[in-house]
Amino acid sequence: MMIAALTLTGNYRLAVAILMGMAFGFLLVKSDLIWRKTCLNMLLLRDGRLLKALLFSMAVGCTLFFIAQRFELVNLRVRPGYFWASLIGGIICGFGVALCCRVPITAIAALASGRVYVLWSIIGMLLAVPFVQIISGWLSNSIYNWSEPISVHESVSSYFAINNPALWIAGISLLLVLFIHFALGGDEEG
Amino acid sequence: MSIFTGKWSFYVNGTLLAVMIVFCLYLFDDTVGMSDGMVVISRYCERAAQEMMVEKPPPLDWQTGFLGGIVLGALAAAIMSGNWKIRFFQEGASGIVIKSLDTILSGVIGGFLVMLGLQLAGDSFLGQWAAAMQLSGGAWVFLISCFVVAAGTAILLERRREGGG
Repeated sequence: MMIAALTLTGNYRLAVAILMGMAFGFLLVKSDLIWRKTCLNMLLLRDGRLLKALLFSMAVGCTLFFIAQRFELVNLRVRPGYFWASLIGGIICGFGVALCCRVPITAIAALASGRVYVLWSIIGMLLAVPFVQIISGWLSNSIYNWSEPISVHESVSSYFAINNPALWIAGISLLLVLFIHFALGGDEEG
Repeated sequence: MSIFTGKWSFYVNGTLLAVMIVFCLYLFDDTVGMSDGMVVISRYCERAAQEMMVEKPPPLDWQTGFLGGIVLGALAAAIMSGNWKIRFFQEGASGIVIKSLDTILSGVIGGFLVMLGLQLAGDSFLGQWAAAMQLSGGAWVFLISCFVVAAGTAILLERRREGGG
């Protein structure tokens, strides 16, 4: 029997999405990702706990995805990325994160945890959607036209091949985790 | 049980986050993200505002279902760990007027910029994280530029705050 991505549909997809959302919401609270103070301390490089969790997830995720793809359990699902759109988007998003310390997923989880003031951030996020629709014509003729879509790397047969980017990312992420652990600490509660 | 009430170590959080993202790719053959759900809600709000009425609830698909699931999961975790607290203002400023202005302005402007940046880059933050695990070059450009700018801006704002009392 061929192993492939499950690709749930219909009500099963909806039910499992709700369950996975619950698991994500639970994890976001337990990992402290949703609290303004811990997020700000991460950005100010005062507390390494969140940084270590994020880098560790990248190391594990890259490896896991590589293995799952080799066994054809998952398919590559990446939206086309444009260099200038990603760079400018990242810069703008970075300014926003510094101001409100939240991204959509953590804002929703923080609101559910009783932080009513996060509603202002969610209002701001909801207002950005029609704004992007208004300027979409200009965006198509400018930012998305400045560069070709970034091509996805060619798959490598062996995980331990020297030209496997997943190996490099996992290795560098783990080294950074070690560096942050000794430089910043921040796992007293663990 | 301490597993529900206490904090989890970084390697437990990191591993679970990675496993859940890859597991979602297996289950849905798509990356989960909040932006698509937020776009649905935003268009629903826009339509309700134009028609000046709310006839029916927003459409329940797997993306908005995921959004609802996050609310339930975060609520349960916050209650279990004793972190569920009503807060109308963010920490920092003192004085009701300054506190209100600080909360509203940083919230609305910050949220607007976050979503604008995500929409420009073409995916939600979780989607970018999942794409980076799949070695997407665009996601790496986004994540690195976002973190560098966020950290730099936060440090500058903090210095200004400390300098200005």
